[in-house]
Amino acid sequence: MTIGGTLQRQRGLTLGVLIVPSVFFLLLLNAYPVVYAAIQSLHQGSLIATGPFVGLANFTDVLTQASFWHAAGFTLVFTLVGVFGSWLVGLGFALVLNRYVPAGGVFKVLLLLPWVVPIVVSSTSWNWLVATPSSPLPQLWHLLGWGTPLFLADPTLAAVMVCVFKVWVSFPFMMMMTSSALASVDGTVYEAAAMDGAGRVQQFRHITMPLIARSTYISWILMTIFCVNDFPTIYLLTGGGPVDATTSLVVLAYRTVFQNFQTGPGVAIAFLMTAALVIVSVVLFRQIRKSAVE
Amino acid sequence: MTTTALRLAGRTRVERVSFIAEKDRQGAWWRFIFLILATAIVLVPIAVVVILALMPGLGSSAHGLTLTNFAHVFTGTQTLTWLGNSTVVTLATVVISVIVAAPAGYVLSRGRSKTVTGYSLLLFVVQSLPVITSVVPLFILFANFGLVDNLAGITIIYVGSSMSVATWMLAAYFDSIPASLEEAAWIDGTSIFGSFTRIVLRNSLPGILSTAIFTFLLAWNDYLVAIVFLRTTSTFTLPMGLQSFFQQNATDWGSVMAVAVIMMLPPVIVFATLNRYFSVGGIGGALAGR
Repeated sequence: MTIGGTLQRQRGLTLGVLIVPSVFFLLLLNAYPVVYAAIQSLHQGSLIATGPFVGLANFTDVLTQASFWHAAGFTLVFTLVGVFGSWLVGLGFALVLNRYVPAGGVFKVLLLLPWVVPIVVSSTSWNWLVATPSSPLPQLWHLLGWGTPLFLADPTLAAVMVCVFKVWVSFPFMMMMTSSALASVDGTVYEAAAMDGAGRVQQFRHITMPLIARSTYISWILMTIFCVNDFPTIYLLTGGGPVDATTSLVVLAYRTVFQNFQTGPGVAIAFLMTAALVIVSVVLFRQIRKSAVE
Repeated sequence: MTTTALRLAGRTRVERVSFIAEKDRQGAWWRFIFLILATAIVLVPIAVVVILALMPGLGSSAHGLTLTNFAHVFTGTQTLTWLGNSTVVTLATVVISVIVAAPAGYVLSRGRSKTVTGYSLLLFVVQSLPVITSVVPLFILFANFGLVDNLAGITIIYVGSSMSVATWMLAAYFDSIPASLEEAAWIDGTSIFGSFTRIVLRNSLPGILSTAIFTFLLAWNDYLVAIVFLRTTSTFTLPMGLQSFFQQNATDWGSVMAVAVIMMLPPVIVFATLNRYFSVGGIGGALAGR
């Protein structure tokens, strides 16, 4: 018909072809495994055979096990501390760095290191620092006269250590998110507020927080996903111990499949975890939409 | 779109610094001292790695700082093989991810139909699924093709797990390249594919770099996929290699930390040199904008 019409058709065709590699990988590496995992969760199989169909027995088994609820509880604590702990620390640094500081750029790069350094490396170093009674941190505690705690052998202390480690690893990400949000806030707003007699705290609560709310919700969603799905941070520091004290749902699923060879229950755990994660993500996503409207 | 916002933000910031510089300097030295102390505490675990790597190893007569640990891990262990494996896997993942994600990102950026929006949403859902769910089925599938305990196998999985975010990041960057540039080329007879490669891609180096950095970190640092798929020490990547030191009776911390230094150097160097291309804000904006 016209040049425009031909162009439109060519456009549709080209865009269709360009998406093919992505669709191929999505089907092979994401869609297929999820469907297969759904089938596995309904069978009593192993890593090599699908096994007999057992209906929802895997799910009921898992849901009646104390170990599942314990892991779910720890995952919740780990995620809450991971998200809000790293957010608070990251926000603090971002606020300090948002104002003039000598060599501010150097600090920004240095403070990113915990996030950039591979977990395998940092967990090794944390292990060296805290694991045995003769490690530096317990020794320091001893010198200060606070006894010699076994940081990774005591269930409560191990859980605390894993959470602290997670905050240490994740706060730079929150710092970067918050920093870029703060940088986009127009400074003159504060000038006006100061003239109207608003103090620092008031400025922060009524100007900064609303303006960075959207980016804050996004960072919470991302960090929630990172925390719930996190395997190496926990597994490499404590292996889920002592006595399952730091076993999260991912660690439990991993152990169930690859150490106890119970594929069905393992996949069922992963699915239940995913369901919870999707619900949380959707709720937080709604919050973003709301904050975008305001 | 996001990039434009960032660029604007950058400009405002510069103006502000000159405008209220006087007031902004208040307490600057207190903040400086606070940051020095806080940064020092934060960096203890990283400093420990470097210091222990440079200390004389077990049974060594050397004093002071030495490179004997590095000499030992390169000659007495398979560290060189692991370093090679990690490098090959990571580079392949970065290249393939960009090749797959760039065209898809272009479609997400330029095609504004319901199908495209749906596909973007699908990518988000996929992204939030835990890797552990897909690892088991993929293990079974890959076992049929000899891709278990195989570097190509884990590369394919890394491409799959980085694809969603890579696509969003590139789409967000492509959004910042005006469509009018392409329209002009189309009138001159350039095909859609031609304008995608010659106009959009050619102007997207920062976007491609930040995607490459993200993918690089994902592949280089991964542990979960490696622990499931890699079985023999000759196929290990560095994370698995490092962990294998702990299976011995007495841990040789000097060697462990030397390998740890070798492993953390590439990401640290990449970040130190290219960090201006990497904004997590970009990831967030890409996520919320679609």
